[in-house]
Amino acid sequence: MIRIVGRNIIRFLVVILFQVLVLDNIQMGGYLNPYFYVLFIILMPFETPRWFMLITAFILGLSVDLFTNTLGMHAAATVFMALLRPWILNIFAPRDGYEPDTFPRIFFYGFNWFLRYSLVMVFFHHLALFYIEVFHFQDFLSTFLRVILSTLVTTSTIILSQYFIFRK
Amino acid sequence: MRSLLRLLKKYSYILVFLLLEVIAILLLSNHNHYQHSRILNTNREITGWIFDKVDGAREYLSLKETNEILVQENATLRNKLASPGPSIAKLSPEEIQRLNYYSPARIVHSSVYKQLNYLTINKGRKQGVTRDMAVISEQGIVGIVLESSPNFSTILPIINPDFRLSAKLQKNNFAGILQWDGNSPNQAILNEIPYHVDVQIGDSIVTSGFSAIFPEGLHVGTISDFSLQEGNFFEIRVLLGTDFSTLFYVNVIKNFLQEEQRELEEKTNE
Repeated sequence: MIRIVGRNIIRFLVVILFQVLVLDNIQMGGYLNPYFYVLFIILMPFETPRWFMLITAFILGLSVDLFTNTLGMHAAATVFMALLRPWILNIFAPRDGYEPDTFPRIFFYGFNWFLRYSLVMVFFHHLALFYIEVFHFQDFLSTFLRVILSTLVTTSTIILSQYFIFRK
Repeated sequence: MRSLLRLLKKYSYILVFLLLEVIAILLLSNHNHYQHSRILNTNREITGWIFDKVDGAREYLSLKETNEILVQENATLRNKLASPGPSIAKLSPEEIQRLNYYSPARIVHSSVYKQLNYLTINKGRKQGVTRDMAVISEQGIVGIVLESSPNFSTILPIINPDFRLSAKLQKNNFAGILQWDGNSPNQAILNEIPYHVDVQIGDSIVTSGFSAIFPEGLHVGTISDFSLQEGNFFEIRVLLGTDFSTLFYVNVIKNFLQEEQRELEEKTNE
């Protein structure tokens, strides 16, 4: 576990700073809000203990919250996503399971697998996030449209990042 | 007993999940009710500092627009000087002291297209900016100061669902409540204007001065659309004067009469 922490701490800082200093400053209209930082949870190793994943997700979300003045909002959504991750991984598992010493990345499991996996993960995160943000179901459809569009943008940035930064 | 422990162990991560979610929701609800802690203050200093450093580039790229706005502002001020009317010269020194004090500040970070939008400015308690002060721009009102740390302040802008403003029609002084509906960053809704009032598209909306935060008569926006709601009130769509996506410089207003008005209102309420 110590190894997991050491290897991921820089990635943790990079995704947060990229989120709050770059993406949060790009204004693309009310329907497109990419939340790239969830990449960190997506890329966590398969063998990460579940409770550890939840706590990491909480700290990750809270760090983003500190910059956007929405204490608790991103934390709640990210923890929700981390809870679902083992199930999502199970559903998309290859026939003979995940091999040891591999990571959830395009390099190991191919583009199709990664696209489906990250799309579902991002979707559940954004679903929780945007409904917590509006805190009511009055404009259900317009919020849902925001969820769908932002999910597409976030997933695209995540896929792109796989080719540019986290290649191996 | 043993099976209970086994069960607990099996589902311990669900318990961790529930615990973390409860903490998150508690934080969220407390924070929105204007409660604050020392942690947040320290955090504002750190994030403010980071934003301040990064913002230099953005500021440089927008020098041209900033210049144009300053030129316009100069012109308006010259016009005000030239026009007759109550000028500062006619007031006694005590009265001048009681006037509002304007202090310029730069926005170091802002969010516009989210639901819970906030701005951060580079003035704080050391520069005399404290909570509940009004923030305006040349184009209209911006918001109120939510919290301040020694060097930075967080602003609750009009485009946040928590924001309420008492605003009135400039031509006939009927006042209502202005609130953002969460859709577009340049429109808000003015409610509680009774149906018999003469409302036209293009009419100016200004602050009413009822709240002790905003002085009376500051520009808010213009009416872009209106419809009659149940209960005989208009729902008026207001095109906000302030364009939040290009906002860089704001003025913080210190209202010297705010304390006095608030004390009086509290006494009356008792």
